[in-house]
Amino acid sequence: MGTAFNIENLKFKYPTSKNDTIKGISFNVHEGEIFGLLGPSGAGKSTTQKILIKLLEDYSGQISYFGTDLKKIGKDFYEEVGVGFEMPVHFSKMTAIENMKFFSGFYKNTANYQELMERVGLWEHKDVKVGEYSKGMKVRLNFVRAMLNNPRVLFLDEVTNGLDPKNARIIKEIISEYRSNGGTVFLTTHLMNDVDQLCDRVGFCVNGNLYEVSTPRNLKIKYGKHEVRVEYRENEAIKSSVFPLQDIGYNNDFNTLLKEKEIETIHSGETSMEDIFIIVTGVDLK
Amino acid sequence: MKTTLRLIFGEIKRLITYKIIPVSIATMAIWVVIFLMVSSQEALELAPLLIFVDVGMMMILLIGASFHLEKQEGTIKSMMVMPVSLTQIFSAKLGASLVLAIESIVVVSVSLYFIHGITFNYPVLLLFILIAGAVHATLGFLLSLISKDFTSLLGWIMAYIFPFMIPSILFTFGIIDKKYEWLLMLSPSHSASNLIAVAISGEFNMGKILVASLYLVALTVLLCKYVVYPKFKDSAVRG
Ligand SMILES: Nc1ncnc2c1ncn2[C@@H]1O[C@H](COP(=O)(O)OP(=O)(O)O)[C@@H](O)[C@H]1O
Ligand SMILES: [Mg+2]
Repeated sequence: MGTAFNIENLKFKYPTSKNDTIKGISFNVHEGEIFGLLGPSGAGKSTTQKILIKLLEDYSGQISYFGTDLKKIGKDFYEEVGVGFEMPVHFSKMTAIENMKFFSGFYKNTANYQELMERVGLWEHKDVKVGEYSKGMKVRLNFVRAMLNNPRVLFLDEVTNGLDPKNARIIKEIISEYRSNGGTVFLTTHLMNDVDQLCDRVGFCVNGNLYEVSTPRNLKIKYGKHEVRVEYRENEAIKSSVFPLQDIGYNNDFNTLLKEKEIETIHSGETSMEDIFIIVTGVDLK
Repeated sequence: MKTTLRLIFGEIKRLITYKIIPVSIATMAIWVVIFLMVSSQEALELAPLLIFVDVGMMMILLIGASFHLEKQEGTIKSMMVMPVSLTQIFSAKLGASLVLAIESIVVVSVSLYFIHGITFNYPVLLLFILIAGAVHATLGFLLSLISKDFTSLLGWIMAYIFPFMIPSILFTFGIIDKKYEWLLMLSPSHSASNLIAVAISGEFNMGKILVASLYLVALTVLLCKYVVYPKFKDSAVRG
């Protein structure tokens, strides 16, 4: 598998802002993986996505797309990438189907939008004006819009934001399937669930900086605390003790506790992605 | 070319769905009623003024409002990630806005022909109306781009209309003296009004025509290239 994007020392400043919004980040997105940028609101995730999709051009640093300098790629780029925006991007006085037909018309290779709309539960509302859609329906339509050209690389900005759990699950299933069929995904999110359930690799983004890019599993191994919490009854009160998971069988205190006390619960503790985020960046996700 | 045509048709369809063209046709219906009530001579005198109001004032208002709605919807951003250039998107918008100008002279020409048997030099009328329409559509885009919200858009439109359009109307009624005409022509709207008057009356004053057309075409090109297009690009990426 090749490298879809290679980003070296990317810096970007909005004309109206004083400091760099993106402060020199480097990472790459492998072909066929789901890469997630996780970070709190204002971290620079959407800005990074807009740079990668060539909407913001005055960046410094080096970005290559399948080996070619991004700045040298023309409009054909958009035949290959699909973009899901965070905010609604549809003609509100036109129906969902009119919108999909309009946008489809500009691509050489188009997806079956009926199938996509059926899967995300919008087909039965295809003749409703998008302006009358709920927030969640607009988010789902944005997702269908992103998939319209059967993209090679899919960009998704906060794709599950504003979705109920059921619809979030459906969208995540489609994304996983898309990756299984060879697609590459770059997504941004502030929700650790998305990362846990979807991402092959994740980068932590705070304040225009990128910390630690790794797989969720490796992050958990590296930063996760592995311990066992035992709750037991003693003198009518519930007490608890914590033991390191390592060599637990030889831990005398632990064994004594198990033999002598009335045990209520035993849990092995795994640090959540949210906790790891705080450990690595020193910042809370919220 | 296919893409540009598709974009233009998309824009025209949008102008219809968003009631921009219907509103414009409804106002034209009022002009038709007026033409029905007046004599041929009066109709001929009124025609330039009505076209001027339609292709000038209504154009700024309708294109400004239409583009304002579009900015809110974020659709331009969605179009920017299609294999289409921003120049194509912008040109299609400008092109589609000229439908409003063409519709205006079609209604006036057809009704004046059938009601009063009046005919014009149609190619000249079409050419001048496109020049006049383009500059006002550009102004509509510009005012919309510099406005934060609808109220401020209305404010800007008023701020344009009072100094740049009202004097031309006063001039048409003879309230402003003829000797100030050259000064008035600095206003793109007055230059446009001149071209319209020439096309309707058939009284060709070559010097005036040349100055007015060159001025308007140059202004449209410069405004589009150096002001409206960059602002358009900037606004398209936002949000
Ligand atoms: N068009 C813009 N002009 C100036 N500053 C902006 C613009 N868009 C975003 N910003 C600022 O850039 C920073 C990063 O924003 P963004 O990339 O949207 O963050 P995220 O997607 O991680 O929430 C924020 O401080 C935001 O206020
Ligand atoms: Mg964002």
